[in-house]
Amino acid sequence: MQSNTIRIIILIIVGALAGLYLPWYAMGIQAGVLAYLLKFPVKNSFSIGFISGLLLWGGSAWWLNFSNPSALPVRMATLLPLQGNVALLYVVTGLIGGILLGFWTMAGARLRQN
Amino acid sequence: MKFIKSIIPLILAILVTIGWDNSWGTIPPFGKLLSPYHGFWINAEMAGSEEMSEEELNIPGLLKPVKIVYDEMAIPHIFAENDHDLFLAQGYVTAKDRLWQMEFQTHFAGGRISEIVGEKGLASDQFQRRMGSVYGAEQSFDGMKQDPQAKVALEAYSDGINAYIASLSERELPLEYKLLNYKPEPWTPIKSALFLKNMSFVLASGTDDLKMTNILRQYGREVAEDLFPNYPFEESPIIPSGTPVDFKPVPIPAAPKDFIGLGSAMQTPEKDPNIGSNNWAVSGNKTVSGMPILANDPHLTLSLPSIWYQVQLVAPGVNVYGSTMPGTPNVITGFNKNIAWGVTNVGSDVLDWYQVKFKDASKLEYWHDGQWKKTKLRIETFKIKGKKDFVDTVFFTHHGPVVYLSHEKAFKTNIPVGHALRWIAHEKSQELTTFYRLNRAKNYTDYAEALRYFSAPAQNFVFASNEGDIALWVNGKFPLKSKLQGKYLMDGTDAAADWKGFIPQAHNPHVKNPARGFVSSANQFSTDPSYPYYLGWQYAPSERGRRINERLSAMQKVTIDSLRGLQNDNFNIRARKLLPLLMRSVKSNNQALGVLKGWNLLNAPESIGATIFETWVLNLQAALWDDEFAADEKVPMNRPAIDRMIHLIEHEANARWWDNVKTKGQKETMDQIISASFQATVDTLVKHHGPMGPAWAWYKHKQTGVRHLIPGMDALSRLNIPIGGGGSIVNAATTKTGPSWRFIVELSKTGNPKAYGVYPGGQSGNPGSVHYDDLIDTWAKGELRPLLFLESANQSSSRIRKSITLSN
Repeated sequence: MQSNTIRIIILIIVGALAGLYLPWYAMGIQAGVLAYLLKFPVKNSFSIGFISGLLLWGGSAWWLNFSNPSALPVRMATLLPLQGNVALLYVVTGLIGGILLGFWTMAGARLRQN
Repeated sequence: MKFIKSIIPLILAILVTIGWDNSWGTIPPFGKLLSPYHGFWINAEMAGSEEMSEEELNIPGLLKPVKIVYDEMAIPHIFAENDHDLFLAQGYVTAKDRLWQMEFQTHFAGGRISEIVGEKGLASDQFQRRMGSVYGAEQSFDGMKQDPQAKVALEAYSDGINAYIASLSERELPLEYKLLNYKPEPWTPIKSALFLKNMSFVLASGTDDLKMTNILRQYGREVAEDLFPNYPFEESPIIPSGTPVDFKPVPIPAAPKDFIGLGSAMQTPEKDPNIGSNNWAVSGNKTVSGMPILANDPHLTLSLPSIWYQVQLVAPGVNVYGSTMPGTPNVITGFNKNIAWGVTNVGSDVLDWYQVKFKDASKLEYWHDGQWKKTKLRIETFKIKGKKDFVDTVFFTHHGPVVYLSHEKAFKTNIPVGHALRWIAHEKSQELTTFYRLNRAKNYTDYAEALRYFSAPAQNFVFASNEGDIALWVNGKFPLKSKLQGKYLMDGTDAAADWKGFIPQAHNPHVKNPARGFVSSANQFSTDPSYPYYLGWQYAPSERGRRINERLSAMQKVTIDSLRGLQNDNFNIRARKLLPLLMRSVKSNNQALGVLKGWNLLNAPESIGATIFETWVLNLQAALWDDEFAADEKVPMNRPAIDRMIHLIEHEANARWWDNVKTKGQKETMDQIISASFQATVDTLVKHHGPMGPAWAWYKHKQTGVRHLIPGMDALSRLNIPIGGGGSIVNAATTKTGPSWRFIVELSKTGNPKAYGVYPGGQSGNPGSVHYDDLIDTWAKGELRPLLFLESANQSSSRIRKSITLSN
């Protein structure tokens, strides 16, 4: 019996591994594949993927800048343009990851249910 | 139905993925760019620690191991056992720090920007190639390869860059590739030639022939020659007057027939770059140490990543330190144990236009010297991102390419249509040989020999040696012309108007150990009019040169620090002459006038007087000349020089030019024009900055910035830098240009030169590195950093932070 928390943890761990060794979009595809194989319920599937992606992308970005601070995030937050607000940049990064994993998780769950 | 419903989320997921994997117009690929595992996040570099670190890397192609140590400014010091490995390592470390810049600049030079940015880059690309940039690079590459040492250097340097490119995974690409969504291509040796040719574009492509012809057509020869004289009223030429000529001049060709060309009309805007440089060497009898001291600061467009990259190159037969240009092997300006050298640009006229008469619309034949001659065709293919290739045919006469046909619209207003271009940058050349030999030179003889190989862009090569010599050669390949040949557009059918060979290199203007105890150059006239050859009618304004010569004449007991002071000199020599003349005409109790009266004539960062004076000069020039010389934007003309304007104010108060011809039935006087321009100055400044106060500070008004190479990338630029100076000031920092590398070297009998330097940027091209812009503040303050000159790879120094061993 999987709880949603466990599903999220699985997506984050496998997502991080995919991120380290495969192209960026593999982080989305892995969520679809896992949702299919592990029979994620369609209900809440987008939210499960979204939360996983948000935490994976936003959290990794935060961790990178925390462990290795540089002026780059401020410069990018000015460029994008987010008025140089790095916190907002974590959020935007998290949202991109969230939407990516959200759609793929939903796609995997839907196909399985079919 | 159920099936369709169940694949909708999959379709959405795929669409989102594709959408964020690609760039759309200027929108970057968000997925790839923001991914914490692939995107910009991992371009952040750890700030250097005080701990010494060691690393070993495998680089294919090396003959022997190479040791590289990095100092605290992240400057590499390369120790190799042969030339081949030295240049391979130079290519490798330069690419490691500057790969994107090297590729972007050579793409620009080669007219290939539209491959990266799409159709909007095409006009610039076409202009580059029509001007013959690729043709010139091919010629020059042929010349370079004839010197076996230069060939080894070019090929090994290229191999080094490629070794670095091959080692990169997609996620390790420099930030700009991720932003613009493309990948580096392999480097080829001809790209180094393209880069060097682009320096001719930057420094020796200025051309006023069209504007001068428009003036000739409008006002006649007498006015043109009166307002655009061929030698300034105030000058202090680079080669001091009275320097004996040590050669027998060759005969000067006969002048072509007088010719008044068609001129032409265009509408595109164009900006005049404010590019120049200073250099000087002071002889030992004027210095505290008794040894010569040399200083140089080339002024270029200030950019990030920096145009310069510092390096020390050590191998058997060479130990040289200095600045390199990413994209070419060797040190360009610097020093070794025995000598130091530096460069400034020579503003001679090495670019001319010939009005072409084609036989018919096919343009396959043109009229020259009483007969129809065949044009040569060159096909240029442009790859455009997201579009089909564009194929362009360029027509060449024996002069060179017809840059724009008479029905086309030119990319810049100073480029005539329907004219063939004769340009020194199209000649076969061997600049690399010059730098290779300078890097290894031991004395004056070696230096003079090295210069024989240099064609373009012509430079004032300043020199000092630890044997006590100082010297300066105005050096490059100069066309042998009749007086004023090429001041105006020329007749392409007249064989007498062709270039007739070149001035023998040994006859180039030069001076060694002059009695005054120093040599200097700041882009002013190379010589006074007694020099037997014609080099050009117009050089950079003489102010910087006059100020430097005035100071160096007065200075005794010179030290590195006093010369550092001169590099940062903010004195406004133009204002010293012009301001009292202007004040005579203004009757007002204005507060701004009071500030000007109390101004110490220094363009200091906080100065308000400098802001008022500089703005006033601009307004006055516009008020005086623009009614006659900018009346029709389709007929672009030049304004007479500042030097000519000062002469007019001083001696020609009743000249016809003071009247504003746009006001019918009214005749303005000189006093009225000067007063009105002062009022306009105050009004503009109030409008832009509010009532007079700290907001009027010169640096805030001038807005010096060091901008990223991609236009509009403010987030990766440093703007509003607190620095004084200006275009006619020795400290030549303007809004977009300035001292791009300042260095000073004191030579030493025992081979331990003391050197200091700085440039407005940093060693790394990565905006995620602390070394991206870490030297800018030092530069703005006018300070220099001591440069680490090592004897051997094993020499210990507290300044060494990292060591890398490269081996095959």
